[in-house]
Amino acid sequence: MSESLVKIENIRAYYKLKNREVKAVDNVSFEIMENEIIGVVGESGCGKSTLSNVLLNNIIKPLTIVGGRVLFKSNGEYVEISSLTREEVRERFWGKEMSLIPQSAMNALMPTIKLSKYVEHLAQSHGIPKNELLKKARKRFEDVDLDPQWLNRYPFELSGGMRQRAVIAIATLLNPQLLIADEPTSALDVVNQKVFLKILLEMKRQGIVKSIIFVTHDIATIRQIADRMLVMYAGKIMEISPVDKIVEKPLNPYTEGLLNSVLTPEPEIKKRGITTIPGTPPNLIEPPSGCRFHPRCPKAMSVCKEKEPKLVEIEPQRKVACFLYSEERA
Amino acid sequence: MISKQMLKFIGRRLIFLLITYIVATTIVFILPRVIPGNPLNQILSRLSQVAQANPEQIRAAEKTLMEQFAFDKPWYVQYFDFLGNALKGDLGTSVSYYPRKVLDLVIPVLPWTLLLLLPATIVAWFLGNSLGALAAYRRNSWIDKGVLTTSLIVSQIPYYWLGMIFIFFFGVKLGILPVGGAYSQGSFPNWSWSFVLDVLKHYILPFASIVVSAMGGWAIGMRLMVIYELGNDYVRFSEALGMNDKRIYKYVFRNSLLPQITGLALSLGGALGGALITEIIFNYPGTGFLLFRALTSLDYPLIQGIFVILIASIYLANFIVDFIYAVIDPRIRLGQEE
Amino acid sequence: MFKNMFKPLFKSKKFIIGLSIVLFFILLGIFGPMIYRVDPTEMTWDMEQAPSSTHPLGTDTYGRDILAQLLYGIRSSLYVGFLAALISLVIGTIVGTFSAVRRGITDDLLMSFTNIVLTTPSILIAILIASYLDVRSIEMIAVILGLFQWPWFARAIRAQLMSVLSREYVYLSKMAGYGDFRLIVEDLIPTIATYAFMSFVLFINGGIMGEASLSLIGLGPTEGISLGTILQWSVMMDAIRRGLWWWFVPPGIAIVAVTASLLIISTAMDEVFNPILREE
Repeated sequence: MSESLVKIENIRAYYKLKNREVKAVDNVSFEIMENEIIGVVGESGCGKSTLSNVLLNNIIKPLTIVGGRVLFKSNGEYVEISSLTREEVRERFWGKEMSLIPQSAMNALMPTIKLSKYVEHLAQSHGIPKNELLKKARKRFEDVDLDPQWLNRYPFELSGGMRQRAVIAIATLLNPQLLIADEPTSALDVVNQKVFLKILLEMKRQGIVKSIIFVTHDIATIRQIADRMLVMYAGKIMEISPVDKIVEKPLNPYTEGLLNSVLTPEPEIKKRGITTIPGTPPNLIEPPSGCRFHPRCPKAMSVCKEKEPKLVEIEPQRKVACFLYSEERA
Repeated sequence: MISKQMLKFIGRRLIFLLITYIVATTIVFILPRVIPGNPLNQILSRLSQVAQANPEQIRAAEKTLMEQFAFDKPWYVQYFDFLGNALKGDLGTSVSYYPRKVLDLVIPVLPWTLLLLLPATIVAWFLGNSLGALAAYRRNSWIDKGVLTTSLIVSQIPYYWLGMIFIFFFGVKLGILPVGGAYSQGSFPNWSWSFVLDVLKHYILPFASIVVSAMGGWAIGMRLMVIYELGNDYVRFSEALGMNDKRIYKYVFRNSLLPQITGLALSLGGALGGALITEIIFNYPGTGFLLFRALTSLDYPLIQGIFVILIASIYLANFIVDFIYAVIDPRIRLGQEE
Repeated sequence: MFKNMFKPLFKSKKFIIGLSIVLFFILLGIFGPMIYRVDPTEMTWDMEQAPSSTHPLGTDTYGRDILAQLLYGIRSSLYVGFLAALISLVIGTIVGTFSAVRRGITDDLLMSFTNIVLTTPSILIAILIASYLDVRSIEMIAVILGLFQWPWFARAIRAQLMSVLSREYVYLSKMAGYGDFRLIVEDLIPTIATYAFMSFVLFINGGIMGEASLSLIGLGPTEGISLGTILQWSVMMDAIRRGLWWWFVPPGIAIVAVTASLLIISTAMDEVFNPILREE
């Protein structure tokens, strides 16, 4: 097994508002291994986007890191990026060590300059000769199946799918170790989604990026692309396991619900948003006591209301936070 | 360099402005004809009150007005005569400066107005937008709060009132700058250094009053524009790629400035109105001053002529701004599919 | 419903300051002339007096009391502002709503018309209209000004309605067989109420400023006193160059104080109701 690229240890990231706190990420620990694609899944508002900001150390108030740390392996050493300022991390890591594909990649490109100009500016910012990066960009465009000629165009001249590919090409220009994809496919049609995922896999296969963390609410995409799946609910990790094992036999009832809601065969039912999980996610200002999922959980027990389940490894590589699998079950 | 899409855009704007110009001149034509009562008699009776002039002049005025307004002909003949003459540049004869042609009266004063209005508007636009952008970049800092509060107040100061205060303070109290006019009385326009210097000295106060009071509005608008723009995805993406801040600010500034260019075109009318009154306050020998004289002497041919020319100038300026916009924004130049 | 909507406004310092100043001037305009019972048109032998205890803001060339003029001026300037704003709001709402609800050719025609008015230099046309009117009442001035400042509001209303109209509940009410009119009244008006109020506030500014501009060029109301006419008299009598500051400074301050406060109110509302600008 390879080493971990990022270690997230007991991270708590809250939005500190005037007289309340939104506990968007609450005591979360996991690792991103080298050479893996990890998928983070959960309903909207579960804290998964906050998690991607924590990974980047893109901490802008009111978001505050209340506790825990994030270690990032750079040149063989682990750097505690959560103890650096946003600006320091930005200077040292962004673009070079970690990179982002934002939520609506369609609009992620500076609209009023040519792509080549953008690449040149990027080269300037990183102190790289312009021509060198342009050459690389041309190559990378070919990698994502785009004619390098498009570099001489403005973003609005490209179609949506092409823009998406251009974004991947540009995001990986400096060969970042970690690529954070924050719901990148939500605005795409099915065909473009497929192409997009294929390109991401190819990027990893070629070793352009080492690891990818893929944040989405769409469990189906994760099945297609990820090695491991991390299920979040209300700021907590519910389960983290290899994808095939999770699909085969989900442990946490929430994961089960999530999977059932997506694996429903009829697409019409899916479209209408009918899921098999009743209720809505809790607000994160005053989350439910005990296990946060217990009010909606079909298998809730009395202990679930009182105590919070720990995330424990119950099988090799499989961790789940649920009393169904815990010794404390009473 | 000029693409098909751009020609299309320019063509569309040109047609639109032409239609608008025809509508505006039509309003100029219709107004004296729809005001209740026989306007010609009314004008003449008011003229004799105001002018207290010799009967000869009134007769001359009567003749001019009869020719000008030609109420005896059918309205559509009047209308097309009016439009035709306006397009030919024949705006009729002034009543109060009889027998001088309206065009000959307006042409010499127009440069003074342009000299005042254009630089002041452009400077205000640049300064205001820079300040607004600065405030937005430092959102919620004391700079932001200072710029916003000042702009909110300053933007509501009418040009001419600020002009009054400036005249009173710098001209009357401190006595360091002239209190009015475009150049010292007794001197005649020429290209000598001393005259140019004299003009500049007279220029400072009216210029400054327009710049200061016009700046606030631009600052407020730009601040909002930049705040919206900063929330855009390309900002987040550029940041995450390690693009340096300066460059990102340049992007945001550029993209926020584009709508402000359209704003500039739309604001020109109001700015012109303000500048005209500022001229009156400063006894500045521009179009506003001429208009004021025309209004007080009820010189309707001259009033109409001034309006036809001013409205045309505004549409011309509008068109120039549109053109610049089309050149700068690639989305228009190359035609964005939407 | 409205009570809850406006509650967060009163947490905004800007809103409270702006509102206080505007209310102060409204009260001054309504009750000022009743309390300070000096005839603003009465000529006295105290000509061009600096402020003193008998004339708190001094007098003009004809010995008329400036404070009395100012109080009446505030009253009529606010009146012009409100009236012009009302006219603009009504026209803008009608045009924008019809455009959005009817769509098609109605929309095209109305929007072309709107764009033409928007591009027309309104203050110039207002000057031109006023120049043909022998007698100009305060109401006429308000109408002239109100006729030209609605276009951007109409466009904004149209855009907002269009986005609301595409939402589901409007679809549902159409399904339920509601007519266009009922649709407008019950579903759409509340969603644009805040925006309309903010625009109304800015229209008042347009009216007050427009009146002052017309007056200064000699085309203000021919009867009554407004802030603009006070300024016009002071310019006519060359008060500025003769240093009679108490004549032209107070009306200007009144104009700026009222209009800036109204602008601050509208800005504060934007900051409270617009999620992008919200500070929290």
